[in-house]
Amino acid sequence: MSWEKELEEIARRRELALQMGGTQKVARQHAAGKLSVRERIDQLLDPGSFREVGTLAGAARYEGPELVEFVPANQVAGRGTISGRPVAVVGDDFTVRGGAADASIYEKLLYPERLAHDLRMPIVRLVDGTGGGGSVRTLESMGFTYVPALPGWHILDGNLSRVPVIGLALGSVAGLGAARVAASHYSLMVSDTAQIFAAGPPVVAHTGQTVTKEELGGSQLHARNGTVDDEVGSEHAAFERVRSFLSYLPRSVWELPARSPSDDDPQRQEAFLISTVPRDERKVYATRPILGAIADRGSFFEIGRLWGRSTICGLARFNGVACAVLASDPYHYGGAWTRASSEKLTRMVDLAETFHLPIVHLVDVPGFQVGVDAERAATIRAGVRAMAAIERSTVPWCTILVRKCFGVAGAANRPSGRLSMRYAWPSGSWGSLPIAGGLEAAYRAELDAAPDPRAKRAEIEARLNAVTSPLRSAERFSVEEIIDPRDTRRVICEFADLAVHALTPGPSRQGYRP
Amino acid sequence: MKRLRSPLSGTLRIYLVKVGDLVQPDTEVAVIDSMKMEIPVLAEYAGRVSALLADPAAMIDEGQPLVELES
Repeated sequence: MSWEKELEEIARRRELALQMGGTQKVARQHAAGKLSVRERIDQLLDPGSFREVGTLAGAARYEGPELVEFVPANQVAGRGTISGRPVAVVGDDFTVRGGAADASIYEKLLYPERLAHDLRMPIVRLVDGTGGGGSVRTLESMGFTYVPALPGWHILDGNLSRVPVIGLALGSVAGLGAARVAASHYSLMVSDTAQIFAAGPPVVAHTGQTVTKEELGGSQLHARNGTVDDEVGSEHAAFERVRSFLSYLPRSVWELPARSPSDDDPQRQEAFLISTVPRDERKVYATRPILGAIADRGSFFEIGRLWGRSTICGLARFNGVACAVLASDPYHYGGAWTRASSEKLTRMVDLAETFHLPIVHLVDVPGFQVGVDAERAATIRAGVRAMAAIERSTVPWCTILVRKCFGVAGAANRPSGRLSMRYAWPSGSWGSLPIAGGLEAAYRAELDAAPDPRAKRAEIEARLNAVTSPLRSAERFSVEEIIDPRDTRRVICEFADLAVHALTPGPSRQGYRP
Repeated sequence: MKRLRSPLSGTLRIYLVKVGDLVQPDTEVAVIDSMKMEIPVLAEYAGRVSALLADPAAMIDEGQPLVELES
């Protein structure tokens, strides 16, 4: 006697599961410009690597002993590989009840999270569904209400301190769906087809606000306010970004990032670096070409391009060593720390600390953003939080003082309590206060007493400027080395070579907060 | 129709484009004085300038529309 009959039944049910919500619903998903959950998983993972768990889970209807209808649970879960390394994956199936949680099986949703948690592998969430509560219709079927709880949320939260967590918004996601995207180390949304909100337009209409879902929670808003890290133009592009992001990180906090072979000369010099910073300090320059020039060719991977824009954050390799990169962008408030840029910087430093990435910081910081807007935004609160992240970090740190470095935000160019490697460019300019801003206050009496205050001011300014040469700072070891900007790649690659030996695998002292 | 918004607050020093000009992403469309610097505003989208929406020397808020584009 064999078990052929049972195997045939399993095959039949598997076939039903693969149909998801049915031909019509899948066609509607495609018409909305979205892939089905199974297409998404196929595109994300290495070909043929998906190992599904819970294929047969779903809602079955029987007549007598006969299965007459089967609707698969609306999460597809399992594991596979990306670039040969294992990842857990879970995707909402919008074609089954719009991805609503009341058509899901909660244990199945948690399984991939536990898999990532216990077997220490990254997890990718493909979110395309509504909240955890589903619909108020469930009240009638349940016959009672419950105090909201998220059983197993401690696993999702714990994963943030254990393994890389990626949240992709691939449709309209609300409530718990929105939380599963945001509770991650790296989140993306697809422009036009994805929206994120606590609650959608019909609920918001009750507050008197009539908005489209795109106006309420599109990437025009959320890729620019830091709800997600970045927007992408297509789901395919999102999966590409996931693959790239994971390539810089270890499987879990108990391992170190893999060092890649690099054929890019660590001594490579780019001639433009010597003239890229304008001599006129009122003029700006572009930072991204500098990052492209100093990192291993093609390795700079920016995160959060559209929000907190006065600080550029990302990952890059230097002589094959994966590092976190922070860099000022003078096109935005002259590189000053804003509330948003402080939050972005905090997030990046915490990521580096969690996954053992040395930090490279290119500084052109005139201070915190000043003015009414900055005060209204509670900039200093976010600023000191960023400073706390920097101060508490333990990964090796390298600072390049590109130009301005002023005030409290400037002082946070590196952690104060431990060694960092630091190099200044000849364009370096620093102090507690810029001369132009502080002169009137400091020399008020002298200026008031002068017969020609303008001439007096010019005289004082010339006197002060005479002592601002970075060489005078170097005399006092206030700055350790002043380098030819063209040697920046070399000094950072040397730092990276040293840093890999000073990384300690394991959980960081404080858990990661999203 | 799209609007190019100021990425930062400050004082509008000068427009670098006029109505009818074609702009590409990263074209400098205006200069804002902010943080004691002259900071160019780069176009986020391509299009033809159909209107300039602020007055030179005006105080500009972050996110304020500066240029209207026809795509």
